[in-house]
Amino acid sequence: MARMAGRRVLLAVPVLLLVTFGVFAVAAASPFDPVTAYTGTAGLTASQENLDQIRANLGVDQPFTARWADWIAGALRGDLGDSAVLRMPVADAVAERLGWSVLLAAAAFALAVLLGTAFGVLAARRPGGPLDRCATAIAYTLEAAPAFWLGLLAIWLFSLQWGVLPAGGLTDTASDTVTAGQVARHLVLPAAVLGISQLPWFYLYVRQGVGDALDEDPVRGARARGLAERTVLLGHALRSGMLPMLTLIGSRVPELITGALLVETVFSWPGIAAATVQAATAVDFPLLAALTVLATAAVLLGNLLSDLLYGLADPRVGFDG
Amino acid sequence: MADRRPVPFAAPAVWRSRGGTRRSTRTLRIAASAAVLVCVALAVLVVPPAVDLDQQAVDLPSKLLPPSAAHPFGTDDVGRDLLLRCVYGLRVSLVVGLVAALAATVIGTAVGAAAAALGGWTDRLLMRLVDTFSSVPHLLLGIFVVAMFRPGLWPVVVSVAVTHWLSTARIVRAEVLSLRSRPYIDAAVSGGAGRLRVAVRHLLPGVLPQAGLAAVLMVPHTMWHESALSFLGLGLPTHQASLGNLVQTARGSLLAGHWWPTLFPGLFLIVPTLAVAGLAGAWRERLNPRRRAELTL
Amino acid sequence: MTEPSATRPSTPAHPSADHPPLLEVRGLSVRFRMPGGRHVAAVSDAGFTLEAGQCLALVGESGCGKSVLASALLGLLPANAQTAGTARTAGTELLTADEAVLARTVRGRLVGLVPQSPAAHLTPVRTVGAQLAETARALTGLRGEAAARHAAGAAERAAYPADHLDRYPHELSGGLAQRAATALALVGDAPLLLADEPTTGLDRDLVEHTADELRRQVDRGRALLLITHDLAAAQRTADRVAVMYAGRIVEIAEADRFFGDPGPRHPYARGLLNALPERSFTPIPGLPPELGDLPAGCAFAPRCSKSDGRCASQRPVFAGGTACHHPEGAAP
Repeated sequence: MARMAGRRVLLAVPVLLLVTFGVFAVAAASPFDPVTAYTGTAGLTASQENLDQIRANLGVDQPFTARWADWIAGALRGDLGDSAVLRMPVADAVAERLGWSVLLAAAAFALAVLLGTAFGVLAARRPGGPLDRCATAIAYTLEAAPAFWLGLLAIWLFSLQWGVLPAGGLTDTASDTVTAGQVARHLVLPAAVLGISQLPWFYLYVRQGVGDALDEDPVRGARARGLAERTVLLGHALRSGMLPMLTLIGSRVPELITGALLVETVFSWPGIAAATVQAATAVDFPLLAALTVLATAAVLLGNLLSDLLYGLADPRVGFDG
Repeated sequence: MADRRPVPFAAPAVWRSRGGTRRSTRTLRIAASAAVLVCVALAVLVVPPAVDLDQQAVDLPSKLLPPSAAHPFGTDDVGRDLLLRCVYGLRVSLVVGLVAALAATVIGTAVGAAAAALGGWTDRLLMRLVDTFSSVPHLLLGIFVVAMFRPGLWPVVVSVAVTHWLSTARIVRAEVLSLRSRPYIDAAVSGGAGRLRVAVRHLLPGVLPQAGLAAVLMVPHTMWHESALSFLGLGLPTHQASLGNLVQTARGSLLAGHWWPTLFPGLFLIVPTLAVAGLAGAWRERLNPRRRAELTL
Repeated sequence: MTEPSATRPSTPAHPSADHPPLLEVRGLSVRFRMPGGRHVAAVSDAGFTLEAGQCLALVGESGCGKSVLASALLGLLPANAQTAGTARTAGTELLTADEAVLARTVRGRLVGLVPQSPAAHLTPVRTVGAQLAETARALTGLRGEAAARHAAGAAERAAYPADHLDRYPHELSGGLAQRAATALALVGDAPLLLADEPTTGLDRDLVEHTADELRRQVDRGRALLLITHDLAAAQRTADRVAVMYAGRIVEIAEADRFFGDPGPRHPYARGLLNALPERSFTPIPGLPPELGDLPAGCAFAPRCSKSDGRCASQRPVFAGGTACHHPEGAAP
C-alpha cells in the first residue's frame, strides 16, 4: 500500500509541473500588465522609472519560462511571492486561510456523506416508494441548483426572515476575538449549503449501490439465513453497496472546491476559495497561481485517498504491482 | 406416501403477489421534460422579438414590486419586469452555453479522435494532457482563464469550452478505438488509406452520434458554469445580463429582504436542466431498463 | 469429522396425532408478470411431501422452475412474482407468511438454504467467520463468545476448517465455499434444508463429497429438498426423486425404483436417465418449451416418441406417481 501511495505521489509531480507551466503560459498570453495590477490606482500617477523598477523587481521583464523556473525554485523554499490584493506574502495568506477552508469543507463533506448515505439506504429499501420518489426528485433538483443561489436563499430564510443564524463572516461584527462558539454558529449555514450541494451525488450513488446490492446473491443469501431486515440492509447491502461511493469519494474534491469557491464568496467565509475569487477579480497573479496549484494538489490528494480507502474497504483489491 | 393422493388438476384460483405494482412515471416525465424544453425554445426564440417592451426600461416608481398579475415574477431594483429579464437572461445563458458546448465538442472530438487514430506516443501524451486538465477543478480553471483575459463574452466562452472538452475527448477516443476494430476499417487501411484519412473519412461519422449526445447533455453544465462565473463578477458584462448576472445584481435586494429577484433566475436555470436530465434519463432507461437511477445529469 | 455435541435430537417433531409431514406442498404455482401483461408460468401445480430424515431430489433440466420453487418456499421471489397454492411446514404457511414472519421464524430457523454458487451468496467484504457469527447471533440470541462458539460448532458440522474462518469469500476454493454455505444453513438447526443446485460447478470428487455431506445431515434427522440437475448427485443422496419438466412435476418415485428396476414411468424421466454418459448417452431430442408459451396439452409431447393427438390437446393428470397418458409399467 505504501508503494502504491509512493508511486502516486511521484506521478503527481509531473502533473503539478505541467499545471504551473500552463498557468504561467496563460499569464504570458494575457493582455494584463502585472505591474498595473500590482500598483493599482497608484500606478496611474507613478513615474515611468518607478514602474520600470517595479517591473524589474517583479521579474516580469523576463520570458515566462524563466519566471516559471524562478517561481518553482521559490515555491520549493516556501516562497510563493507576494499577494497584491491581500498585501501579504502568498504563503502567509494560504497559511492563515487554509484552516478555515478545511474546516468548512470537512463539515460539509461529513454532512453530505452522512445524510447522503442515510437517505440513500432508506430510498433503496423501497425503490419506487414515496420516500424514494421524493428524495430522488429533491436530489436531482439540488444537483441542478447552483450553490450560490442556494446560499443566497438560505441567507434570506435563516438570517433575514427568521434571524436564527448569522448571514456571513467568521465572527459577529462587534467582536474582535475568534471564539469557538461564534465560529460554530457562523459555520452552520455555509457548511449546510456546501454539504447540501454535494449531497445529491452521495445520495444517488448510495441509493444505486445499495439498490443493486439488494438484488444480488449476497443479500439473498443473508435473507435466506434468517437475518433481520436491518442486518441485511446495513451489514450486507450497505457494506457492499457503498463501495462504488467509497472509490469515488476522493474524486469529489474538484466539486467540493467548486462549491467552496461559490459558498465562501456568498458567506464571506475567510477561506482560500474566497481569496481565489478576490485574486481573480483583482488579477492578483501570484495569489491566483499559488491557489490554482494548491487546488490541483488537493485534487491529486483526493484521488490518492480514494484508492487507499477502496483498498481498505474491499478485501478483493490488492495493492501489489 | 402422501404423493399418491395428488391434487387433481385445476387452474389456481387465487394468485398472490408480494410486491405491489408501481406505476412508472416515465411517460409523465418525458412529457413534462419535453413541454419544458418546448417552452424554453419558444420563450427564447419568440418572446424577445415579439414583445415590444425594452427589457432595459428603468421604471423607478415600480421598483421591487412583489409578484403580481401585472408582473408574475415581480420587478427588480430599478423597476424592470423580472419575467422578461429572466427570459432574456435565459437567452443569453443558453447562447453562451450552446456556443461553449459546441466549441468543447469540437476540441474534444479532435483530441479524442487524434489520440485514438494516431495511437502510440501521441495517444499517451494527449491522454496525459486530458488527465492533467481534469486535475484542476473546472470552475477554478475557468476563473483563472477569465481573470487573465478580463470578463467578457469570448473569455467566458473559451473558459467554459476549455474545461468541458475532457469527457468528450474520452468518449470519442473510446468510441474510435472500438470502431477501429471493425472489418471495414481494416479494409480501408489495407486499401492504402492513411491513418488520419481513415479517421476523418470512416471513423468520425461513426462517433458523431455519441459526441452529439454528449454535447446536448453538456449544455446544462456549460450554462451552470457561465452562471457561476457571472455570479462571481467574472462573467458576462452586465449589459448582457445572463441568469448568473441577474442573481448577482439581486444580492442587494435580497439583503433588503426581497427574495423574488434571486429566486426566479435560479429556477430558470434549474427547470431546463431538470428537463434535459429527465429526457436523458428516460433515454438511458430505454437502453438499459434495469438501471433504476441515473448517476449523471 | 467428530459427532457434534450441540445438535438437536434427531427425532423430528410430530406436532399432531395424524402425523403431518414436515413439508407439505399442494398446488404450488409461481408465475412472473412480464412487461406487456404477459405471464411466465415458472412452476405449475406442484405437489409433494417431505418427512424428517428423508431426502427428496427435485431434478430436471436448467430453467424448468426448480430453483423458483426453492425461492418460493423461502419467500425470496422477486417483486413481479405471483404465487398460488399452499406450502406448510411446522404449522406455518410459507406462501402467505409476511416478510417479518419469514425473517423472524422461518428462514434459517425452520428452513435452511444451501444456495447455488455459495461464494456468491456470501457478502464479499466480510469474512466467513464474521458472517457465521452474525447468523449465530441472529438465530440463537447468543452474544459474543457464546455466539462465536455456536458458529464454530456449525462450521465443524459442515467440515469447514476453523483456521479458515478469517478468510474472505473470494479466497475460498469451490469446496470450501460449499462447506461454508452448508455451515451457514446449519447454524439455526433448521429441521428442513433446501439445497439449490449445491453441486453446480464442482468437480466430480467434490460433488460426491458434497452429496455425502448432505446425506449425513439427512441421516441426523433433517429433511432435505435437494434441487439439482445432477442425477448422479441425486442418486447418491435421495430417498425419493421428483422430476420436473416445464414447471410441472411429471413424476415422483422412490429412488431405488427410479434409478434401478423398473425405472421411471414418465418418458421424460427415462430420457433424462438415458442421456447419462454411463447409460446410453443419448440426449432427448429437441428443446424444452418457453415457460411463457406453454402448449395446451402435455408440455413434453413435442419431444416424446409416444405422443399422440391426446397428448397434444389434453394435459395428463398426475396419477400413479406420474403425469403421462402413456406411462411405462404399472403404478407402484
